[in-house]
Amino acid sequence: MSKPTDERLIAYLDGELEDGERAEIAHWLEQDPELRDRAAALSESAAQLRAAFDEVLREPVPERLMAAAHGPAAAGATVVDLAAAREQRARPRTREHRWWVAPAAAAAIAGLIVGIGISKSLLPEQPTVTGNTSGTGEPSANFVQNIPGYYLHYATAASSEGTSFDKLPQNFRVPDLKPWGLEYRGARFVMVEGHEAMQLFYRTDNKALGPVMVMVGDAPGIDERPRFKHVDDGDVNVWSWRSHGHTYAVAGTANMGYLWNIQNDLAYQFDGI
Amino acid sequence: MSVSISDQLIAVLPRMRRFARGLTGSAVEADDLVQAACERALTRAHQFQEGTRFDSWMFRIVQTVWIDQLRARDTRREEAEEEGVHLGTDEPGRRVEARLALEEVRNALQDLPLEQRAALMLVTVDGLSYKEAAEIAEVPVGTIMSRLARARVALQAKLDAGRGLRRSTENVKADG
Repeated sequence: MSKPTDERLIAYLDGELEDGERAEIAHWLEQDPELRDRAAALSESAAQLRAAFDEVLREPVPERLMAAAHGPAAAGATVVDLAAAREQRARPRTREHRWWVAPAAAAAIAGLIVGIGISKSLLPEQPTVTGNTSGTGEPSANFVQNIPGYYLHYATAASSEGTSFDKLPQNFRVPDLKPWGLEYRGARFVMVEGHEAMQLFYRTDNKALGPVMVMVGDAPGIDERPRFKHVDDGDVNVWSWRSHGHTYAVAGTANMGYLWNIQNDLAYQFDGI
Repeated sequence: MSVSISDQLIAVLPRMRRFARGLTGSAVEADDLVQAACERALTRAHQFQEGTRFDSWMFRIVQTVWIDQLRARDTRREEAEEEGVHLGTDEPGRRVEARLALEEVRNALQDLPLEQRAALMLVTVDGLSYKEAAEIAEVPVGTIMSRLARARVALQAKLDAGRGLRRSTENVKADG
């Protein structure tokens, strides 16, 4: 057999050759240092190519794609119009994120809250608890349905080193969850119901609690009291609520009570923001 | 119990995004492409043959939609909207270097013809067999083999050239 061409060598490296031809190329590789170097270089560039795109797998899937996968027939699904989305992207970032800036009204509300501390009086006396159901008919139903998927796919990955995150607007104040043993790791922008939203990732050394994901988005409409949802697949618990034109959720594998306490803290902090 | 097409779509979304990123070279365009592919898949769900691979079907749709879009519109990249990697100034030097190296690989891929990019993304990145990639591209296995070989050799040459250029620059700096 003559010296293998690049095409045969690459097919060999890809495991695509029959036994006989594979043995012949293996023999060539034993005898020919130049061919070995060539094979090593091709293998290295293939590994680099994989590495260059593998980080895409660790990124959160944008909400609009989750909605598109569910299809327009899904209850409450919001598939972003591509033309509108392109137009929105063309606008300056500062306009899109202006709601992150603490408005005077919110500051006034925060002023009323300061000194009260974390109090259940700020929240409904009895939170609404729903089971593992879908299509509740509530405005935020679709938003909540997608959260366990996001959590399972990305919160765990976000706990590891080397994960890349989006840059937060300078004027955005990240909720401090250190009292709960949670360390802020980073944030990602996603689309929720056609609006930009943010996923905030927190990690903890306590494996029994697991990482926690907080979602914050813009949501014009009426306020909603906290609702609980448990998803058996992955054992994810979610508290979601709406307040002052924003939609919020906190998700994790921690128990309902632990997350409820965090939800209280977040509601307090976000109202302050 | 059969899995719904939406559930299968959600499961394959990350790989579709990766494939689309390789085809388009843009995070924004890749997600637009995946969204369009999802919409097309849902409207043509009846065309999916039970017992065949759903991921292969979706890869074929992604590629077909992309080719349709290339034919239908100006393919000028919206570079200003590119949501690429953020290189923070406080990022450790080695991580910056690693990111630049990966960016170089992605850029080199974009210099290749579309059919070669697709072959690389399907086989080298996603790990599909030549036969599976050939079915997605709707070409003979031999065609995939030759496309891959040309692509791998060209990619290798581009990366070697980039390294050579960097070495020359470093030598000039060292001499200076």
